[in-house]
Amino acid sequence: MRKSWKAKSGLAIVAAVAISTGVLTTPAKAADPVTITIWTFGDVIQRNLVAEYKALHPEVTLSIKKSDLDPLNGTNMVTACTSRTGPDIVAVEVSYSGYWRSYPKCFQDLRQMKTSDANVSAGIAAGISATDIKKDYLAWRWEQGVAYDDSVIGIPTDVGGLEVAYRVDLFKKAGLPTERNAVAKLWPTWDAFIATGKKYMTKLSAADKKAGKGFIDNTGTIYAAIMNQGTEKYYRNDGTDTGKLIYDTNPQVTKAWNTTIKATETGIGTRIGQYTSDWNIGMNKGTFATILAPAWMMDYIKAQAPDTAGKWDIANLPVSGGNQGGTQLTIPSYAKNKQAAYDFLTWYLAPEQELKVFKTYGLFPAASATYKDPALLNFKDPFFNNAPVGQIYANGVTKLKPIFEGKLQRAIDQAIGAGLGRVAAKKMDAKKSWAQVLTDLKKVVNN
Amino acid sequence: MSQVLERKGSRKAPLTPWKKSKKQEVFPGVKSLNGRWGLLFVAPFLLMFLIFGLAPVIYSVYISFFHWDPLGGSEFTGLRNFSLLLQDSDFWLAIRNTFSIWALSTFPQMFMAIGLAVILRNSRLKAKSFFRTILLVPNITSVIAITIVFGQLFGRDFGIINGILSLFGVGHHIDFVEGVVPSHIAIATMITWRWIGYNTLIFLASMLAIPDELFESAAVDGATKWQQFRFVTLPQLKNTITFVLIVGTIGGLQVFAEPQQLAADGGSSKQFLTLTLFLYNQAFVNNKYGYAAAIGIMITFIVLIISVINFFITRKISNDGTR
Repeated sequence: MRKSWKAKSGLAIVAAVAISTGVLTTPAKAADPVTITIWTFGDVIQRNLVAEYKALHPEVTLSIKKSDLDPLNGTNMVTACTSRTGPDIVAVEVSYSGYWRSYPKCFQDLRQMKTSDANVSAGIAAGISATDIKKDYLAWRWEQGVAYDDSVIGIPTDVGGLEVAYRVDLFKKAGLPTERNAVAKLWPTWDAFIATGKKYMTKLSAADKKAGKGFIDNTGTIYAAIMNQGTEKYYRNDGTDTGKLIYDTNPQVTKAWNTTIKATETGIGTRIGQYTSDWNIGMNKGTFATILAPAWMMDYIKAQAPDTAGKWDIANLPVSGGNQGGTQLTIPSYAKNKQAAYDFLTWYLAPEQELKVFKTYGLFPAASATYKDPALLNFKDPFFNNAPVGQIYANGVTKLKPIFEGKLQRAIDQAIGAGLGRVAAKKMDAKKSWAQVLTDLKKVVNN
Repeated sequence: MSQVLERKGSRKAPLTPWKKSKKQEVFPGVKSLNGRWGLLFVAPFLLMFLIFGLAPVIYSVYISFFHWDPLGGSEFTGLRNFSLLLQDSDFWLAIRNTFSIWALSTFPQMFMAIGLAVILRNSRLKAKSFFRTILLVPNITSVIAITIVFGQLFGRDFGIINGILSLFGVGHHIDFVEGVVPSHIAIATMITWRWIGYNTLIFLASMLAIPDELFESAAVDGATKWQQFRFVTLPQLKNTITFVLIVGTIGGLQVFAEPQQLAADGGSSKQFLTLTLFLYNQAFVNNKYGYAAAIGIMITFIVLIISVINFFITRKISNDGTR
């Protein structure tokens, strides 16, 4: 690929001159073949959109390498940045954004990039920088792609959102309301959610209880949901780059921990771990009546429990909206084809394309510009009892506030998750387990 | 096998018998032309070893003295990582878990492998090659695939094992993730399933090397099948058992993928956090590369100690063999 670059460097210069002199005049038809390498995971880069871009730009080859998320956002990216090599685009999941925000030198500041006229025909004007498109995206979600030094290192592909997926048939059996607005009214607060769970449990037969049935799949998921409804997590934005660690003093942490412990100790959860085989089977068998579900999980439920089609519905999360997951696309500072990569990125993440991805794969757009689009607002999913999922998730995600994320966020989340697990497994009482969390975190911070 | 034993027994056996005709040199092989050619021949390996073997080791020793951040600034902290490590309860927990899983996976596996090898050695067994081949299938299966299948076996609520147990009236479902011993058994089972075929073939190979005459004369003396196994087969397997033990120990200290697939953090109370998983998590979750390097060095020391113990046991066994 490099050789072909050199061989056609003459043409490239012509193209560069054409771009720099008359941006808006003639499209640079001197299209040099270029290969954009993309490191990604899961379904972030969708195949049919790639095909669409290929039709738009026959000269562009998208070389896509998929890995598991943890090695991708961990070892692979660290290695790439230290060795000053790397792909042209990397997908970074939000659980890693706190970490990568601390290393802006590994990324191209997208405020400095300008679109070429390559995608004018597809509605992307030339000369657009990241600053220009910021307004199209959810404000708090955009912040997750902004580094400590305010440089923009990533543009969001999707936002997880978080609502309650519930089983209409099981709610009916337990004598609870089944209509989604009435269901949402059952739990204006998390305490009300737990109370509803208790009510549900009293309606279960002895045999059901013995079979391990419960109201929610895993009470541990409540913790993250409450944390994201706050304005601060483990760091306080004190004006410094790194922020100040406040995991041991933030009342939001205490609240989320206590509420989760309460839900666990009330016994409304099944204690089945998410993404285990037990979970997949339980989904089919109606072992649990609710799941706190991000938008991208809808596809997972459809795939794992196809026979439950129509039995599910989606209601609002207690309190006000939520989020779990999401990804942004970044251009590493050592990328070789930054311009081509940026042109692809601005096209791929434009509201229009994010909407297409939502309709086919259920990844919810981070581009808030789409939230008023009738195509999204009127989108109903028959699997979920024709719930207007577009509208429900859009309402939820717009209620969240930006949260300052820090370098050790993942490690802290992991330690607290383990602490909640110990209580759920009845290995420790809540007080002891929290003390253990603090000891573990002290090591994480100091060692 | 017996030939090897004889050579080991005579202490003056040269290490390179094919060079017998060469003249004595101060540095045999190095100064001669042959030696220089030899160096050329080993150069590819030596280069690769220096780049991918020795250099990373030296580098990790170096960074173990730092508070190391590959992307940011690093700070020299001397022996701080090591002193913190020795005070870290997780480290000792990881050692306990590693050895527990090692013992649970190595010993039952060895008994079963020897048993399987005896069955496969039976001359009346049909379709021998078929069985020998399928024994290796688990070994070439990816660990991720294994853990998915075993996840269905060991599931707490809908797992097959708990299902079978409940048929026998066991009302309490065993939690193969949260429990300490159950989780170790689950991991050890995965390891055993994966490696038992490989070890069976090794045992089988050394059993087939035992001369038939020994069994025939034992039979003439009136030895039962069990006595033949106990007094003919087993003593001849001593060296193989040592080999399997050493390889199993080195593998056992590196158990990583199985516990990681069960739960990436090694369980809620770190009940199956192994040494290598501990290292990995310190480096790539907590971003403590210097600390992780210190763990790596400690693992090396543990392997060294075990190797020395193994060496003495092996020497004792082979001395016994020549007596």
